[in-house]
Amino acid sequence: MNRRDFIKVSVLLVLMNRLLTRDLWAKETPVVAVAEGPDYGAVARSAVNALGGIGRFVKAGNTVVVKPNMGWDRRPEQAATTHPLVVKAIVEECLKAGAKRVKVFDNPCNDARRSYENSGIPAALKGLRNVEVKFMDEERYKKVNLKGTFLKEWDLYSEALSADVFINAPIAKHHSLTGLTLGLKNVMGIMGGDRGFIHRQIEDALSDVNSVVKSHLVVIDATRILTAHGPTGGSLRDVKVLNKVIASADIVAADAYATGLFGLKPQDIPITVTAHKRGLGEMNLDKVKVVKA
Amino acid sequence: MKINLSRISQLFFLALFFFLFVTTDYRGKDEISVALNSFFRADALVLVSYLLSAKTFTILLLPGLLVFLSSMVLGRFFCGWMCPLGTILDLLAKRIHRSRPLAFLKGRLKYYLLFTLLFGALFNMNLTGLLDPMGILTRFMTFSFYPLFGYLGKEGWVGLYRLLGDSRDYLEPGYDFLKSYLLPFRDTFYPLAFVSLLFFLGVVALERFERRNWCRNLCPLGTLLGLLGRFSPFRRLPARLCADCGDCRTTCPTTFDEEVFQKADCIRCLDCQRKCASGRVSFRLSLKRGKEALFSPGRRVFVTGLVSGLFVAHAFAPKTAARETRLLRPPGVGDECEFLTKCVRCGECMKVCLRSALYPASLQAGLYGLYTPTLVPRLGYCEYNCSLCGQVCPTGAIPRLPLEQKKKAVIGRAVVDKNQCLPYARKMNCMVCEEHCPIPDKAIRFESVEEADYNGKKVVLKRPYVVDDLCNGCGICEYVCPLEEKAGIEVFKKTKRKL
Repeated sequence: MNRRDFIKVSVLLVLMNRLLTRDLWAKETPVVAVAEGPDYGAVARSAVNALGGIGRFVKAGNTVVVKPNMGWDRRPEQAATTHPLVVKAIVEECLKAGAKRVKVFDNPCNDARRSYENSGIPAALKGLRNVEVKFMDEERYKKVNLKGTFLKEWDLYSEALSADVFINAPIAKHHSLTGLTLGLKNVMGIMGGDRGFIHRQIEDALSDVNSVVKSHLVVIDATRILTAHGPTGGSLRDVKVLNKVIASADIVAADAYATGLFGLKPQDIPITVTAHKRGLGEMNLDKVKVVKA
Repeated sequence: MKINLSRISQLFFLALFFFLFVTTDYRGKDEISVALNSFFRADALVLVSYLLSAKTFTILLLPGLLVFLSSMVLGRFFCGWMCPLGTILDLLAKRIHRSRPLAFLKGRLKYYLLFTLLFGALFNMNLTGLLDPMGILTRFMTFSFYPLFGYLGKEGWVGLYRLLGDSRDYLEPGYDFLKSYLLPFRDTFYPLAFVSLLFFLGVVALERFERRNWCRNLCPLGTLLGLLGRFSPFRRLPARLCADCGDCRTTCPTTFDEEVFQKADCIRCLDCQRKCASGRVSFRLSLKRGKEALFSPGRRVFVTGLVSGLFVAHAFAPKTAARETRLLRPPGVGDECEFLTKCVRCGECMKVCLRSALYPASLQAGLYGLYTPTLVPRLGYCEYNCSLCGQVCPTGAIPRLPLEQKKKAVIGRAVVDKNQCLPYARKMNCMVCEEHCPIPDKAIRFESVEEADYNGKKVVLKRPYVVDDLCNGCGICEYVCPLEEKAGIEVFKKTKRKL
């Protein structure tokens, strides 16, 4: 190899390297916005605004799904479900951004009527135009090829799949099997079938689903958190009021940050770790830009 | 034409019955204000059998007492003005061609039946609900008609989805209306649906032979009210068929088997008065006793009733068998025998049960327990914050407990089956039962154990165990247990054992 060839090869190698890793270079640092205050609606709004506003995610004419946690027959103060004011603020922002329709639903573990009613969410959204809070219909589940490591295929809710924007609005709370339940686990609400089955390998199962159903925006309600006896709770002794809302476009980063609220590290939560390894987002908080709104 | 007041009243009460039937459900509130139980609470037969078997009174049955007393003044007005089953028979009357009355139903059969039931109740065997007309209708509606109606409605709607896809949404407001006001929320099918249908169809089929055949010849409630009606000071004049007309023989739905007016059979529909061409018929108040004797059904009926009541009481007597440990009763029910003396078997608790936990017992509670509610955790569970069954029970057999007390009412106790449960039997994590356990401090907890699984890989297993003092036996753990075969955790009733 003469000098000329050496230079040619070197230049080519550098170019190729640059090309192959361009995505990494181009990738922005994930941002997590944290807002705090006693007015939960305002807190949720300022968290979303700190990310650049809902307009970054929702365009005029979009169909938006907002998926809160309404999974249990519990009242808002018991911190097992997403706070109605947080949900309302998100929905109103979507409408302001010109959303054609905003759909709010969950697949509760307890009786659907009681869970919806006592979550306070239907009442909070009552009267808003172009907003629907409906029970999930069995016939709307579609078998989806997940090609995952644990789940090859599973029934997912078609309205969540077909929406232009999927906004994931969990509550931050304790969960006995998985440590915590946050954004990645909240997606379980759009799963049909025998959901108990996925507990056998829940980290992989949730990564499988989250790889297919991407949350465009994650708004974690930590206005009050459930610190023990989750995910059902029920006793106010286990509830801690933090008045915080966390928002991010990176689901793993949002979960990782919220983990800190419980005095835990992101690597303590296997769901977060697995999702990070599978490229669903950043769990290393050193590589995340945290914005206090 | 004169206004047919009794028919208007009948239609009103029939509509009320259906209205209450549909509203006997969760409607977004923890409390149910009005429910179908009003009809049973106003049921004199339920009242009398409750008094005999439970040997106490409950304020819940005050309306029944009012009907009881007013029947002594007004006669069997309940049958002609209020009873929904009677109204249905009247509405069908014109469409059914009749052959000849069945001879074997005549005579004193209905008295034998009534007294057998009442003496049975006295010997703690309260079976009257099985033949109570409101019971027959409610069970038919709850177990046979409504599930089928709901199934058709839902399948039709799902079928539209298959056909139209998401554009079905345009029709949604119409369906939402049906769903909120008419269709059942749950799609649950019940055992004994066919038997309930047969009971109802049997009563309708009897119309083939005679008008109001069930009411005049069998119905124990009607018979009881008829006995009371004999005290009524309202007398029909003339007291027999008129020699020159006799139209009443065909006009009257219940009474004129013979020439003479039978006071105990008259349902006070007043059709004869309304239709009499010559305006001769009237019902007059007169305190003087006429020629008619104050009928007693006769010593023979009484004695036979006593004997057959005793026989029935012992033939159907509950056996305390091992299988009863799976015979779970609704929350708040304590003593099984006391429950059985009070339960009307009307099926309302099952109609209202949010999560389809309650089903009618077929034979698992013995013949005696036919149609009594039993909780089947593999099919549904008792919702922690719900106390509707106790609110709709017409006799308080399921006590109406304040919510905080109901949450602590013990239905049974969960037991982990280590031969099934995944973390024990297959060394896999699961914990679905613990996750769902609604008790704030968790009646199901777990211990973490590090072990090598069957592939030799080290795993941390979370193994569930039950805290007996906290478990109320709601059954959600058994319901959600993801094992396809037998559940890895099951609820059993605590029974006092005699050794």
